[in-house]
Amino acid sequence: MRNRLRERIAIAGVGCSRFGDLLETPELKGLSIQEMTAAAVKEALDDAGMSGQDVDAVYVGNAMVHSSQLPATYSQLSKWIGTELRSGVHFEAQCSTTNVGAAMAAMAIASGVHDKVLVVGLETTRTRVKDLSPYEREPISHQMTWLWTDMAVNQAYQVPQGYDIFSTYNGIVALGYCRKYGIGIDDFDRGMFEVCRTRRLHGSMTPKANIQETLEDEARRKGYADAFELWRSDKDNPFVAWPSRLKSLVTTADGASAMVVTRAELAGARSQPVELKGFGICYRDLPWYDEDPTYWEGDRRSVDQALDMSGIKPADIGYLHTHDCSHISGLCTAELIGYIEPGKSLAYARDGRLRFDGDRPMSTHGGRHAFGHAWAASAGSDTYEAVTQMRGAAGARQIPKRPDIAVIHTHGYAMVGTTLVLGGL
Amino acid sequence: MPQAQANDSAIKIYYDGLRQGVLKARKCRSCDRHTFPPTTCCEHCGSWDLDWVELTGRGTLLFATHNISPACHPRFEPIAPYVYGHLRLDEGITVQAIIRGIEATPEALRAVFERGPVPVVADILVMDDLPVLAFRPAG
Repeated sequence: MRNRLRERIAIAGVGCSRFGDLLETPELKGLSIQEMTAAAVKEALDDAGMSGQDVDAVYVGNAMVHSSQLPATYSQLSKWIGTELRSGVHFEAQCSTTNVGAAMAAMAIASGVHDKVLVVGLETTRTRVKDLSPYEREPISHQMTWLWTDMAVNQAYQVPQGYDIFSTYNGIVALGYCRKYGIGIDDFDRGMFEVCRTRRLHGSMTPKANIQETLEDEARRKGYADAFELWRSDKDNPFVAWPSRLKSLVTTADGASAMVVTRAELAGARSQPVELKGFGICYRDLPWYDEDPTYWEGDRRSVDQALDMSGIKPADIGYLHTHDCSHISGLCTAELIGYIEPGKSLAYARDGRLRFDGDRPMSTHGGRHAFGHAWAASAGSDTYEAVTQMRGAAGARQIPKRPDIAVIHTHGYAMVGTTLVLGGL
Repeated sequence: MPQAQANDSAIKIYYDGLRQGVLKARKCRSCDRHTFPPTTCCEHCGSWDLDWVELTGRGTLLFATHNISPACHPRFEPIAPYVYGHLRLDEGITVQAIIRGIEATPEALRAVFERGPVPVVADILVMDDLPVLAFRPAG
């Protein structure tokens, strides 16, 4: 594998909707899935200084077609986003969708076929089409969301035999981490509290986040003495896969994201492009790890490919997002990348080093727990945040030393390890 | 694939085996490693030259946690929350499966974690519509 891009590639524009619920969240309530997606696309096109007619191709991703009932998105959305008569495809790489789309766009451009590609991700994990209505929606039960989501997981054996994402992605990884580094269960629990506190702080400063309430404010609202008392509550924060609790997990959301990928010299003067310097993609079926649940070979390969293509080293990374449907899994990936010393993630969290103003900022939009998770749209939301931080436009949560290099890692269920490296142009 | 089984899905052969208390796997003639549960080619080297073999059903439970309730899959609603484990079989295969004989409580799971790796044996769980791979502590 040559693992090289023949052209310099830019992300010329990014867009993202509010993440939340199409039935309840003020910025989304009443919108159709087409309009929610169009809002994200318009923001990305405006950001790039382009219209839908300026792009050569449109790659649109949606993982859970059961709730969207919207296959063939390239044409079904084209009159909503102004891209009629373009080239296009509907694709999915589950929760890595939009960043895999960015990689596919980079390959299409670097090969010399296209100059400008629009990548879009949309997902509704909280609401679904009601009956056969063109506009009415209804909530999805928690069990139905996972049943549909798990259709991306081994359907011959693992799912029919009692596979559970929370056990596999949280509980077992947590126990492996504690065993490997000699961390007591109570210390682990306290450390995960600190991680959640950080993510919720970030969410509280992110206007598009699903949850914008700090853990401390939630504790006050619910009458707890402090945030840690809330954390240890069986009622509000039960174990979902011992020793991992509910608030160390993903929060579902409806949402959409978009980005415009171009040849670097075509990134418009009106935009603030960043370079897509490299990427890596590697998948594996269950189990995602061998005897050591903290080490994922698929991530190792994905990260190594991305770093090799981009020519950067872990020490160059100024901002990192790792896929954190499971907070402990995301921290293991950060350690694998070399952003955090092995076994030190919980200490870093306790010392505030993972905060936006710490020396190892991570997931400054709040991550999967606070920003929320709209499967096929989420990788795009992570890239949106990275670009925002690199531009110095993140407002209250701006990393003080604007990052020159940002790395975004995502897990596309189940399981596509995807890594993007962004740098300044 | 041997001619006698050419038209039988590996999935059906596997579940038929479980129904009889047998763990059926494929073994690669090229690299000598197992693919379990069975598929059409070696998961390690990609070879299509495979034999059918039966596993001992013995292994070691490395880690044990639990699932959520209601379970993600309706099939398991009647038994959720249940214990779910990460295991190494004696043949060197890493699998994850339901663990019987351990309560899905923090206290019981903490005791398992503090004890360390636990020998286990296969203990197939028979649900209404499907036999399911499961294990229990040996002895």
